[in-house]
Amino acid sequence: MFDQKQIWEKCLLDVETSVSKANFSTWFKNTHISKYEDGIVCVGVPNEFVKDWLANKYHKLILKTLMTHAEEIRSVDFVISKNDHRNKDEIMEIKKNLINRELPLHDLYINKEDNLNPRYLFDSFIVGPFNELAYAAAQAIVNRPGTNYNPFFVYGASGLGKTHLIQAIGNAIKLKFPEKKVYYTTLERFSNDYVNSVLTNKSQQFKDKYRKYDVLIIDDIQFISTKEGTKDEFFHLFNSFYEQNKQLIFSSDKHPNYISGLEDRVKSRFLAGMSADITEPDLESRIAIIKQKMKDQDCPFPQEIVDYLASSLEGSIRELEGSLNAIICQTKLKNRDLSLNEVKNLVRNSIKPKKNFSIKDIVKCVADYYTIDEASVYEKTRRKEIVKARQMVMYILREDFSVSYPLIGQKLGGKDHTTVIHSFMKIKEDLKINPTLNHELEQIRTLFK
Amino acid sequence: MKIECSSEKIKNILIGLDRITGKNLSLPVLRCVLCVASGKSLKFRATNLSVGVEIEIPAEVEKDGVTAFKGAVLAQALSSITKDEKIKISLSGDVLNVVTSKSVFSIKTENYEDFPTLPVISGEKITIPVKKLIEGIKSVFFSASISDIKPEISSVYIYPEEENLIFVSTDSFRLAEKKIKMKQNEEFKPTIIPVKNVIEIVRILENESGDTVVTFSKNQISFVAGMTYITSRIIDGVFPDYKQIIPKEKKTEAIILKQDFINILKGLNIFSDKFNQIIFHIHPVKKLFEIFSKNSDVGENKSHLDGALTGDEIEVSFNYKYINDAFPSLNTDSISVSCVEKNKPVILRSVGDQSFMYLIMPMNR
Repeated sequence: MFDQKQIWEKCLLDVETSVSKANFSTWFKNTHISKYEDGIVCVGVPNEFVKDWLANKYHKLILKTLMTHAEEIRSVDFVISKNDHRNKDEIMEIKKNLINRELPLHDLYINKEDNLNPRYLFDSFIVGPFNELAYAAAQAIVNRPGTNYNPFFVYGASGLGKTHLIQAIGNAIKLKFPEKKVYYTTLERFSNDYVNSVLTNKSQQFKDKYRKYDVLIIDDIQFISTKEGTKDEFFHLFNSFYEQNKQLIFSSDKHPNYISGLEDRVKSRFLAGMSADITEPDLESRIAIIKQKMKDQDCPFPQEIVDYLASSLEGSIRELEGSLNAIICQTKLKNRDLSLNEVKNLVRNSIKPKKNFSIKDIVKCVADYYTIDEASVYEKTRRKEIVKARQMVMYILREDFSVSYPLIGQKLGGKDHTTVIHSFMKIKEDLKINPTLNHELEQIRTLFK
Repeated sequence: MKIECSSEKIKNILIGLDRITGKNLSLPVLRCVLCVASGKSLKFRATNLSVGVEIEIPAEVEKDGVTAFKGAVLAQALSSITKDEKIKISLSGDVLNVVTSKSVFSIKTENYEDFPTLPVISGEKITIPVKKLIEGIKSVFFSASISDIKPEISSVYIYPEEENLIFVSTDSFRLAEKKIKMKQNEEFKPTIIPVKNVIEIVRILENESGDTVVTFSKNQISFVAGMTYITSRIIDGVFPDYKQIIPKEKKTEAIILKQDFINILKGLNIFSDKFNQIIFHIHPVKKLFEIFSKNSDVGENKSHLDGALTGDEIEVSFNYKYINDAFPSLNTDSISVSCVEKNKPVILRSVGDQSFMYLIMPMNR
């Protein structure tokens, strides 16, 4: 027995060279071998016209070409059939599986009253070293809203669970104190609301609307920096909440100090209560997250896959969940466990390549950041802006990449290692007193992450 | 090849065949009409590989021959002749010379060897009147789905039931069913013909009268009427079991005059929104049949229809277009509109003629 598909493909390649392109695409496209029995090949064609034409005009050609590829073929027959290589039972099987194991579509039901998504609960929140401070504070707030940590400010990079945490606080408070009115919004929505109220002369209604809540949760507060009017209104709202010991909860992607354009009075208020950061989850936490997700979806993977995923998908939990969803979906569709290789293929795009940086790359990053010429960093010049950039390069090389002092000196235009030590210490001291410098450093670091 | 033939006949055939040719891009020769002169007749053949037509006309053949040329070119050329006359057609090299009393047209021909044959199918045969077949198809084909995604509903379904031959088509928003009384109906095999082909079949058969011989095979159907042979591919599938969506009961019924309805719908359409929505409000107790349409950009319209109303009060909305499509098939002066409830389909029928039924799904506002 030979591979029908392969033989037919070879045959078509030969036929293609001996007939015109128009003829080939009209008559030979959508054909396949539907059956092979005792030397007789049944060629499946889409309709009667094609069947007639192939039988009358190309019969000999097809037979001849087929025979050159498989000697046992003696004759060719044509039948009309839909081009489907899988047999019908198989299709039915797949269909049945699809119907039986339809992927669950969880209703993303959001309560209109408070905007909270009931999916976000503490039960599904994985606690690890990366977020335990934030979690502990959140628990304290749920126990005594408005008194312990007010305001509560959570910050961390995107996709690490800030929204989950603050919504979970809201949901938990709702459960524990049904009389308290909780409201969740994003800064974007808050701001739109405000703008609308100004447009329609309903600013008093706006004030009343927000002041009637007992717990106010605002997501992505960092966007406030660009919105002047909202900022003022927010300031007053903040004060009124604070005076009445009503709980305020914010999330942001940066520490309040680094939110540019934020006035000190607002900044200091953010910091008045409790601010906790959520960093990237460590390996153990990632394993825990994956296991939780598997449990939720009732779709366990072998340990090696869990280990592989946990070690390769660093950073954002959101992306981790996305990759997991893809794998779960595939598993359910195929109705069997995926092999490690298949998993690797699926998540290939999500894995961030680990970059190697040369000293030159770092210099380039820093030079670009300060918009100075890259070459000038290596020069012997004491111009202030260049000195600063050069010292920054030295600091980063030492602090982040642990390059030895002499090597740094040598690479940056033949400086003495004591010069490098001096620069390193200088920046280190400056960082303690100068928040702008801190901010700059953070931003440079993101450039080569 | 050298022949003499009537200009009018050739022109009409070519115009008819032109709809079938001209759309196939992959094989250029399919844009042509094949012309075969032999014995005492001239045969024209055209196909798009889904439907194929062959028409024979008598001609004085001096020398046999075969050629393929763009039919539309000759048809347009011949339309410059106002009255019917004998024309001489001859082939020299790859040029077809057509000589009329006043002019000479030389038309480029193409290599006819690539022109496909039409499948001649063998199978069960029945004879039915052409007129009835056309009437059946014409009453329903407009309801077929336009998209190719589900081939079985972008088709007309024909099947026998009791003493009728039944024609159905639906696009899942509305459904048209026509029953045609016929003697030999039982031998008619249930067949699903693509709507695009059905339109061509009707167009070609309309010129014929008398009976047509229908031949069925598993994948193909053919019609022979007079000197015309048409064959079409048929859909190998199952037509939806539409009977189950037809409401068994009716709670509200309105009998109205068709012409009134048409006139009022014209007014309503001006104000219908982008979904062509119009709203029926039937209140038999108050003797009120109101139709309402509203478009926030244009305005709104509320009209009353006089008619005999029975049953419960109901408010239900439809796509205007779907209702309008059915009028040519409702061939009596008064029509009945019957509803069950808000989210159930509505049925339109001719009063006193049970052969045609038109069902429309309501719109969900």
